[in-house]
Amino acid sequence: MLGSIKRVNSPEDLDKIAQEVKERETQYKAIISFCTSTGCVACGAKKVLEELRNEIKKRGLEKEIYIKETGCLGMCEGGPRLLIYPGEIPYFRIKPEDASEIVSSIVEGRVVEKLLYRDGATGEAYRTLHEIPFYKYQLRLLLANNAKIDARSIEDYIAVGGYKALAKALFQMTPEEIIEEVKKSNLRGRGGAGFPTGIKWETTRNAPGEPKYVIVNCDQGDPGAYMDRAVVEGNPHSVLEGLIIGAYAIGAKEGFVYIREEYPLATERMLIAIKQAEEYGLVGENIMGSGFSFKVTVYRGAGAFVSGESSALMTAIEGKVGEPRPKYIHTAVKGIWDKPSCLNNTKTWATIPLIILNGAEWFRNIGTEGSSGTMIFSLVGKVNNTGLVEVPMGITLRDLIFKIGGGISGGKKFKAVQTGGPSGGFIPEQYLDTPVDFDELTKLGSMMGSGGMVVMDEDSCMVDAARYFVDFLLGESCGKCIPCREGLRVLSRILNRICEGQGVEEDIQTIEEISEVMRDASLCALGRTAVNPVLTSLRYFGDEWIQHIREKRCPAKVCKNLISYYIDPNECQACLLCLRECPTGAIKGDKDQIHWIEQEKCIKCGTCYQICRFNAVKKLSGEPIPPPPIGMKPIRRGKEVR
Amino acid sequence: MVVTLKIDGKEVRAKEGMTILEAAKKVGIEIPTLCYHEGLEPYGVCRICSVEIERKGKVQVVAACCYPVEEGLNVVTNSPRINKLRKVILELAAASAGEGVSGKMRALASEYGANLSRFRPLLSDIEPTRCILCGLCVRRCVEANWDAAIGFIGRGVNRRIVIFPEKETLCLTCRYCRDVCPTGRACPSYGPNPPFPTVDDVIAGRA
Amino acid sequence: MLLTCAHCGYKWDYRGECEYYATCPRCRYKVKIPEDKIEQLRTERGVGGMVGGMLEKRPVKLLGVAGVVNRVVEEYQYEKSKLIQILLKLQRNFGWLSKEMLIEVSKQLNVPLNQVYHVATFYKAFSLVPRGRHLIRVCMGTSCKVRGAPLLLDRTKSLLGIEEDETSPDGRFTLTTVNCLGCCAIGPIISVDGDYYEHVRVEDVKRILSKYQ
Repeated sequence: MLGSIKRVNSPEDLDKIAQEVKERETQYKAIISFCTSTGCVACGAKKVLEELRNEIKKRGLEKEIYIKETGCLGMCEGGPRLLIYPGEIPYFRIKPEDASEIVSSIVEGRVVEKLLYRDGATGEAYRTLHEIPFYKYQLRLLLANNAKIDARSIEDYIAVGGYKALAKALFQMTPEEIIEEVKKSNLRGRGGAGFPTGIKWETTRNAPGEPKYVIVNCDQGDPGAYMDRAVVEGNPHSVLEGLIIGAYAIGAKEGFVYIREEYPLATERMLIAIKQAEEYGLVGENIMGSGFSFKVTVYRGAGAFVSGESSALMTAIEGKVGEPRPKYIHTAVKGIWDKPSCLNNTKTWATIPLIILNGAEWFRNIGTEGSSGTMIFSLVGKVNNTGLVEVPMGITLRDLIFKIGGGISGGKKFKAVQTGGPSGGFIPEQYLDTPVDFDELTKLGSMMGSGGMVVMDEDSCMVDAARYFVDFLLGESCGKCIPCREGLRVLSRILNRICEGQGVEEDIQTIEEISEVMRDASLCALGRTAVNPVLTSLRYFGDEWIQHIREKRCPAKVCKNLISYYIDPNECQACLLCLRECPTGAIKGDKDQIHWIEQEKCIKCGTCYQICRFNAVKKLSGEPIPPPPIGMKPIRRGKEVR
Repeated sequence: MVVTLKIDGKEVRAKEGMTILEAAKKVGIEIPTLCYHEGLEPYGVCRICSVEIERKGKVQVVAACCYPVEEGLNVVTNSPRINKLRKVILELAAASAGEGVSGKMRALASEYGANLSRFRPLLSDIEPTRCILCGLCVRRCVEANWDAAIGFIGRGVNRRIVIFPEKETLCLTCRYCRDVCPTGRACPSYGPNPPFPTVDDVIAGRA
Repeated sequence: MLLTCAHCGYKWDYRGECEYYATCPRCRYKVKIPEDKIEQLRTERGVGGMVGGMLEKRPVKLLGVAGVVNRVVEEYQYEKSKLIQILLKLQRNFGWLSKEMLIEVSKQLNVPLNQVYHVATFYKAFSLVPRGRHLIRVCMGTSCKVRGAPLLLDRTKSLLGIEEDETSPDGRFTLTTVNCLGCCAIGPIISVDGDYYEHVRVEDVKRILSKYQ
């Protein structure tokens, strides 16, 4: 608590706090929003922050420049990064040495050119954030405030309008009105299935039984997706506010936030947020003097993907093993301890305050007919601009990958985009103009899922990718029911054999038969949707499968048993680098003699391929390997290629 | 409250809260099961009792032992799709359990024409376990003893049934786990008493 | 562990937490703990391994396993639903969950032993065998895999001579994989003791591992 208000007893107190924060901020000449999310910390953000703080202290500018430690600002490949207000000047890839120049530039009122974002093709530099193409085409509703909030300060959140939706809900609306509003907005669950949130709330409210519970599902198990982490690390109060509004509408007195074990920083920030909200009387007993009380606890996961399934999560909160249960009676009617429980994804809860404040009509006008609002996608893989993008539903995949993502990295060709995590499927080039929305993606055999979008280029093998997902789910399946446990085990064996070159013609038919059984008979959605990656891979990239099975060839040169490494004698400069790094000593040669690989010893680890500075190591598949050029002298090129 | 539904064309009146399996038994229709036992809570893991239901125009496949009866439901317990499903489930279960299973599972296999050796060559490096992890033995022990002598450990394909040496004294007088096993793994004449590896052996990798 | 002060010659039984220096009780001189004695200190303390460098706050020898478990169970107010949280705390403190610990938790929390064991073996965060001093987690999420994480895993395996979920013979490292640490845009990621390394290439692995003794 920084100001005069110790506890929020009415909506006017919120305005007073916001006023005090704004007054405090106008005293500063510049405010730096510095991302200290897990990703940027991994890139070395803490050292840069320390240098910046030292620099400011050295020059005695503590009263002029204020640094806010924020959550994810997007465009994570450019970390460590910051934004300078006023002007919203973005700097990327900052090193500790740049600190001095940044501070000088603020004092002198100029811009540090070399730290700006430059367009890869035109070389143009962008001086404000919203001009960068990556941001221009986004509609940031949930992530916008990340830049203005220090994640550990509730006052910052109140200053940007935080908790006003809660005040409106508690004092100006009845629970039934709130549920009507959410139903009218057509908000669909952002966790994956896309179930209409308003209907889920209504079912929970009308279900017999007390007490009722509300749960935040922040167990983002999908590999490749991390938007829940960004929302909780950047703006945990938005989730908390939505949760309290939902609890009031449903009639729940207790709530849980389930965060996965791999997100320690998100857990820490959520705990701080809850504590600060409790101090202000925004959660706990008699919230804002309205008479409504609500308690919330944070639960940590322990490393199981299947525990993110709604019934499994509830079983885990009960203290038992997080295995799914048959959901023929919805968890909204019989959930935790057989009481009505409403479980929603983090992003769904974070959207609620926006709907309450701006109205259902406003939300409905964004997006498509079937799917309203925006969706945060994690655009990762082989694109130039990776990171979290928040776009209105209905944007085409092509725009997402090429306009915002900046196209495929390394100048390679697009092959497929994998949406929805292990429950989704691959979408090939011919469907790039599909608008992204819950129903459209399901029609193609994939699904929206949690919003993961992994882009693959010509160097990705589709059979290997399908095998990866089956192996992933095999390790994560709870193992209760026979179709999923044994079906995945048998599928994994078949796919591994195909990738090793031992596939037979019937394999495809067997795969389809097992997939049908898994889809019909599995206990939970993990088993039912486990077959999506394999089936879409077969459907759209069938010719790659035929090549693996019949010709024992991997066109993308990924499957280890079907490729060989070969050093091109025309490129090799005999620098001894790969020779030294080879873990099995398979590379032979000498200082002035072309290196060559002894195929029997080669374990295909790829070290030489990654290390060679002259791009001399090539991968061959399905071709005979030329005989080794023993004793040949290298042709000197004179220049390193990378 | 009483609801009316159709099972295989027959009209059935059942009490609300009953499952399709129980309602079918009332009219003499036997739906095959492996992991179901009258005295225990339905577990729903073998999926052999899968049936087709039609509601609101959509056809779904559900487990009859867990699905509660609804007004106007239309249930089909035998169709080409369901029969094929049961056959493949038995073949999948035999992939790790092995062909040498006896008891209820073998009877079902011959009824549905399942080739229990179909997937064995793919898993030839794994010793046949004769266990399909239906959980009947564990559930029986828990129901009889609360702090049971046997239990599940692990996840996915590493899921095993083990015995806890500290609780082994419970087994001196009890033989419940052996009476319910559908594959003959925990049967009166097979293996040591009791027929499960100890938890320490499994964690250390000795069993 | 018996230490001798280099300054005044005083001998005493050291029971502190620090593994590098001890303060002589008589003259306050800082005594360096000899490196070959560190192993002995750890065995005496009874700590199986330290994940992320976390040391247990009070030596086990003073409280005993039952005492430590009681402290944790009390902190969570004997709530059965907090079983997973309790085990997480014990795992963080000790580095692994021994049989004794699990039996104590079952007794004090009044939860059936089979449930405690099932929870402890179901989740990846728990280890029922002692771990090495440093925990390596190689992220195998989709984005990291597309950028070559399997090759990093192979490299680490061959450098340390161990397979996944095994500990190196000198007790330095335990190698595990993790399914998505949430830094997908800057993959491939390797995390050692909570320190994250991004954009790791095959040749970087040796350098990263050499930082941890």
